[in-house]
Amino acid sequence: MIEISHLAKKFAVESPKKLSEQEKKDPRLKGRYFHSVKDVSFTCDDGQVLGLLGPNGAGKTTTLRILSTALTPDKGEVNINGIDVLKDPIIARKKVGFLSSSTGLYGRLSGRENIAYFGQLHGLSKSDIAAKINEMADLLDMHNFLDRRAENFSSGMKQKVSIARAVIHDPELVILDEPTTGLDIMATSTVIAFIERLKAQGTPVIFSTHHLDEVQALCDKVVVINQGETVFNGTISEFSDLSGGHMHQSFLSTLDGTKMEKSNVVNL
Amino acid sequence: MWLIFKKEFTELLRDRKTLIFMIALPLLVFPLILGATIFFTTSAVSDAENKVLKYAMVGQANAPAIYQALKEAPDKFEEVEIAADADYAALINRDEIDFVLEIPATYNEDILSSGQHTLKLYFNDAGLNKVYRRVEEIVKTLSDEYQTQAFETLSLTETQRDALMEPIIISRENVADEREVWGERIGAMLPYFLFFLCLQGAMAPASDMGAGEKERGTLETLLISPMERYKLVLGKFFAIALSGVISALITVTSMAVWGIVISQGMAVEFVATLMSMIGLADFALVFFMLVPVVAIFASLLLTLSIYARSFKEAQSYMGALVMVIIFPVLIAMMPGIELKGAWVWVPLTNVALAMKELIKGTMDYYALFGIFTSTAIIAGALIAFSVYWFNKEKVLFR
Repeated sequence: MIEISHLAKKFAVESPKKLSEQEKKDPRLKGRYFHSVKDVSFTCDDGQVLGLLGPNGAGKTTTLRILSTALTPDKGEVNINGIDVLKDPIIARKKVGFLSSSTGLYGRLSGRENIAYFGQLHGLSKSDIAAKINEMADLLDMHNFLDRRAENFSSGMKQKVSIARAVIHDPELVILDEPTTGLDIMATSTVIAFIERLKAQGTPVIFSTHHLDEVQALCDKVVVINQGETVFNGTISEFSDLSGGHMHQSFLSTLDGTKMEKSNVVNL
Repeated sequence: MWLIFKKEFTELLRDRKTLIFMIALPLLVFPLILGATIFFTTSAVSDAENKVLKYAMVGQANAPAIYQALKEAPDKFEEVEIAADADYAALINRDEIDFVLEIPATYNEDILSSGQHTLKLYFNDAGLNKVYRRVEEIVKTLSDEYQTQAFETLSLTETQRDALMEPIIISRENVADEREVWGERIGAMLPYFLFFLCLQGAMAPASDMGAGEKERGTLETLLISPMERYKLVLGKFFAIALSGVISALITVTSMAVWGIVISQGMAVEFVATLMSMIGLADFALVFFMLVPVVAIFASLLLTLSIYARSFKEAQSYMGALVMVIIFPVLIAMMPGIELKGAWVWVPLTNVALAMKELIKGTMDYYALFGIFTSTAIIAGALIAFSVYWFNKEKVLFR
């Protein structure tokens, strides 16, 4: 079980003068600090898939980075299966698989070497790594490009290798930051199938997305963040019921009348 | 840590850009540039030596011997007729003629009564030319004959002649041994080359391992691996340092080998003599002193690289760093700067001066230990700063 309570994180603004007009008007900007996350709380049980929603700049990526231990919060607590992430980040890292939105790979290493490197960083044996890579290659359909250098991979190939890299150590929690952004239909369906498999295995998954159809298809829980605060935290049916089953309207209603750019919510 | 180092080095060896800077450039391009420079310089000198010089003599009747000597070398000199009131400078600058030799009317008079004869040689001395030397070669023979005749007239002995030619001489009694002389000449240059090559060889890998990770988007994933940050930093640090050392060694070895090849064995004797003079222990100490210096470079480069948002930004920071680092090394090359007083405490300058003393064979080994220790402490502090820097969110997520 993952418990996140009252997370807060602010960043020093290097050059306040360089901020755009929209950024200057953001109520989270206070003096030289931008309060990216002000108060975020939610839980995710084993076997649950939690969809993290919110407009661009809401604080989703910062929240996920805190969960993955890449960032340290200013306030709040994160607990993963009884491990305090802030006190024992190294232990927590062994339990978390994180896919960042950048899906960066080492271009001069092959797909297999990229995955194996992270397996080694997690202390897995060579035989375990080899077996796990083969299993992932079957699941994510990677056999035909796995031994090629990653610098020539398409977006879909990169995303598949990145996912395999994130879960090579069989994590107890998987965090995916916009896993289907920029992917074609085939690659998207492979990723969705992979998340369904994790759910079936009982591994909790937290993923951020703008695709409400994915939320409807995969999620047990929905958390909506707006301007650094949790504005909705409930089951998928509770979320859907907010507007009589219409996901888009439900989402907008959680934002408390905030006008949304249409580009922020796709596949309605 | 070893895992990080191994992965970083594997990536380096697969990077064409790094391979070009680290191996191809020192192995082929530097020697090619050196060879081409030597070839073109030699060719230019040879052309100047063998060029048939067009000349005119004014007052040639006064010096038939010189006129005859020039005439007897048609493969070297070609006479050109010019008007009596010709503008010599204009003719020479229009390349119609290479030189004009003006003989005074008193040339045939006895030098003991008329005094020294002055011949005027008009030529363009800008750029590479051998006009003066080639004309002097001919005139000198005749000048020597004059001298001999004059001495015979005065009935001077050989001792008297020498005393008259050079009444006072200073005899050089050099107490420095050959090694010290060579050490003074070469020892100042060696640290400059070694420092610069190490720095240059480490720059591209350092940019890739810090800013490159940010630009590729791999840094975040690496940071959440269960590897302690100091191990990540040390793995990268050793890969950068090793690439710097390898680059320097390849360049020095390559230049030595190509130097031998180009000079057709002439350098073998020189290198062998120099090596036998320096001795293996001092030579090893020179490279031993390089260890903390490379550590300083690698930690500084890594620190800058991880701060930069992009590869390009990292490269611009490193360009400025080169200037800062080369300055103390240049100071060590200045005449009169020795490993004494305050210079012992100036980082990098003291190492460069110590390397020079080692090559000269005049190093105080207690001082060497002190310099090594102080440099190692600085290197250690900079590595610690790199680790601290690698833990700062505002650096990693700029």
